[in-house]
Amino acid sequence: MDSSVHLDNVVMQFGDFTAIQKSDLKIESGEFFSFLGPSGCGKTTILNMISGFLDPTEGCVKIGGQDMAGVPANKRPTSMIFQNLALFPLMTVAENIEFGLEVRGVSKSERKKASDRLLALVALEGSGHKKVSELSGGQKQRIAIARALAVEPQVLLLDEPLSALDLKLRQHMRTELKEIQRKTGITFIYITHDQGEALTMSDRVAVMSAGRIQQVADPITLYRDPQTAFVASFVGENNAIQGKVERIDSGIAEIHCGELGVLKGRVQSSVAIGEEATLFIRPEHFRLQPEEGMLSVAVEIEEVNFEGAYLTLSTSTTATSKQTLTIQLGAHQYNDDLAKGKALSLSYNVSDAIVIGGDSNA
Amino acid sequence: MSSESIMRFGVRFYIGIFFLYLFTPLIIMGLATFNDSRFPTVSPWRGATLKWFDALAQDGAMWQALWTSIIVAAGVLVVAVPIGICCALFLSTVQGKGKTFIYSLMMSPLLTPGVIVGISTLIFWKGLSVNGGIFLTVIAQTTFISAYVMLMVLARLQRFDRTLENAALSLGATQWQAFRRILLPYLKPAIISAAAIAFLQSFENYNTTLFVKGYDTTLTVYIASKVRTGLTPAVNALGLVMITITILLAVVYEWKRRKEAANETES
Amino acid sequence: MLNQLKARFGSGLAIGIVGMIAIWLIALVVLPQLLMVDYSFRPNLLPADIGGPKDTYSLVNYETLFSNHIHLKIFFKTIWSSVLVTALTLIVSYPIAFYLAKVATPQKAALCLLLLIIPFWINEILRTFSWYIILAYKGPLNAALLGLGLIDRPIRFLSGDGGVLIGMVYAYILFMIFPIYNAIESLDTNQIKAARNLGAGWIRTHWRVIIPHAKPGIATGCIMTFMLAAGSYAVPALLGSPGSRWFTQIIYNWFFEGGNWNQGAAYAFLLLVICIGFIALVMRVFKVGLGDIAR
Repeated sequence: MDSSVHLDNVVMQFGDFTAIQKSDLKIESGEFFSFLGPSGCGKTTILNMISGFLDPTEGCVKIGGQDMAGVPANKRPTSMIFQNLALFPLMTVAENIEFGLEVRGVSKSERKKASDRLLALVALEGSGHKKVSELSGGQKQRIAIARALAVEPQVLLLDEPLSALDLKLRQHMRTELKEIQRKTGITFIYITHDQGEALTMSDRVAVMSAGRIQQVADPITLYRDPQTAFVASFVGENNAIQGKVERIDSGIAEIHCGELGVLKGRVQSSVAIGEEATLFIRPEHFRLQPEEGMLSVAVEIEEVNFEGAYLTLSTSTTATSKQTLTIQLGAHQYNDDLAKGKALSLSYNVSDAIVIGGDSNA
Repeated sequence: MSSESIMRFGVRFYIGIFFLYLFTPLIIMGLATFNDSRFPTVSPWRGATLKWFDALAQDGAMWQALWTSIIVAAGVLVVAVPIGICCALFLSTVQGKGKTFIYSLMMSPLLTPGVIVGISTLIFWKGLSVNGGIFLTVIAQTTFISAYVMLMVLARLQRFDRTLENAALSLGATQWQAFRRILLPYLKPAIISAAAIAFLQSFENYNTTLFVKGYDTTLTVYIASKVRTGLTPAVNALGLVMITITILLAVVYEWKRRKEAANETES
Repeated sequence: MLNQLKARFGSGLAIGIVGMIAIWLIALVVLPQLLMVDYSFRPNLLPADIGGPKDTYSLVNYETLFSNHIHLKIFFKTIWSSVLVTALTLIVSYPIAFYLAKVATPQKAALCLLLLIIPFWINEILRTFSWYIILAYKGPLNAALLGLGLIDRPIRFLSGDGGVLIGMVYAYILFMIFPIYNAIESLDTNQIKAARNLGAGWIRTHWRVIIPHAKPGIATGCIMTFMLAAGSYAVPALLGSPGSRWFTQIIYNWFFEGGNWNQGAAYAFLLLVICIGFIALVMRVFKVGLGDIAR
């Protein structure tokens, strides 16, 4: 069955405010797809357009190739898991799960079968008679999933459903969600502001900012090859150094970064000679010992933070501009020499640095 | 004695006097029922009797008035509760210009003296050749009791999480099913409370009823006329019976309400 | 507005909701009031003359009030007495509301609230009637005062306005206590502690911290009490004497004894104007909006 979702040149406006800039995106059948972005970026609006709670101002939403214009939320082959879960407090667990079937007029015995099957799927057999208020946070979460799956949707929409859980449970639920998606084989569309969630669970991720889809890619590509300055700084940690492009040669740009001199990196997008550009280097790509073919920067340690598996150094360049750079090292690299005021020579591989045109704040 | 303890004593004293003020009338009324005197009083005390309960039971006009009150109150309940619910749903859903104006209109019957509600209803329906009676009493009382219902239902509605409705829609429910299965059960406690209050308000109403009652007499109007004309302790007996019933109802109502509230904080 | 309702409840229910509200507001609230005003500007005519040449708008019904000194006196007395009732009720209620909201332990407050509610479940007529018994010339209050030697002769409580005032304060006290209680309860107790800690005395704490916070509640209580007092028929009818009539009684007489509805409508409209004027005044003085009232 085709359960792809196509956002066909959609635009969403609320009065004068454009919540979603013109976007065209196809989510494949059976994919685990995430929208990642800070709050207010428009990701919930996209979810509401797919679910039918909002109609796009322009363009259309197609599910399984069918145009959804004029199809209300309750007639769409989608089902949603809400941020606060929205379990019905006056119904039992079983009544919650069976609700979608009940309103479709499914017989009582059929409903019972379905809720038993789903309770087994989410490992909560025999909890059907319980009140919602008797469940723990994680159990509520699973009931919400079971309830949404009961109507056999082609697309499951998840609106930051894990945000209310504590850290341990959240990490556990990630694996469980992924597992359920694999078992059921339906399309999952997940929105979150938590990049850890998006990167661990998703087949592909769309990063959003200010109503615009910045980049759509699988998690590894997103991390290694961010296409815009926003993605580079939003996904994972990154050091940004501004400069002016001096030369471009077989995909490598040389940019002049003031007193830091000339630094090099892979050209990523919209870089032109003579224009402003930003060089991004991730904290873990800096080395303390230079190797063959690496570039170096002289810095001084400002602060050392030990964080368990790794440690981060806040450093600033010795030049008067005091550019701050963050470095991440494995815990095994710790030694007493690494203390405030120590001078270091940082090196990096040119292929690990990327150059993106424009101002990093844009 | 420190100033702090003087103050504490003062507060206790005041609270004591206040509750004495609150309950003395009810106690006196009760006692007067059992006084073997031709007039309702406790001083002088002429010995205890139960004859006024007999006198009350024999009073055919009283039973007729009670029946009228029940019919009116039931009528008000049937009309005012749905109107109040509709108003609350309207106010919790609609945003935008004109809402404040409509809200003011909805509140206006509560800020209008009861006699004026009665008078305006009487005049309006006279133009349609409808005279005072049970029907007009129901209409006039509905005018302001609907607003009470509205406020009570609205108070609960404002705490309703609307994502529950979206959840129901997302699971395929129609808007009617979402209303019927999700919102209405949630509102049920408030609706029951509002219905109880509406019934009581109707039952006790005097100021409005007086103008629209026509030749029908509700129990409250009957009691008032008894107080003003043929005053005997039978009125007290009636009062005592009503007080006992209302106190029982009040205690049950409060008890249920608190249990409800306790359940809610639990979940 | 209909679209917002349709989006939430579907067409059928939305139309039902709007229809119910429209019938109530138009046929029960707005039109009767407008018709009453219309009535008040027309002369009292025989049925045959209605719609005829004599049926013209005039201020004659209003002129009656200003030329009838007894009615005018009762009109102003009603307003003044209602203000007095409101003030008395406020003074009696404020300490109780404060005690319940901030001093009493939660269990005690819950019990007191229940005790407070019980008398008000009881019919206003019955509550007033019991005051009639207490205040009677040969009633228990006089008996008690005589017994204690505080007075030599029984007092005629029921011959002036005194009985009416006592009865009204009693009848409407809950409408004052509850709004103020709700308002004070929502005040963060730490604010009171902070004010005390900064050296403010009790009076200053109330005047500068608690009363300003309780303003919407006080305004609501005053509006309700005034409106109920000015519009009361039962209390003056039961506790008043022929010499202490209330304006509502005059209105009633125009309708059911004088048989002049137009005249009665004019008086009723004046009463309504006074109530609206009082509401506007209170909202202005306390700087609160309609949305703050009757929470």
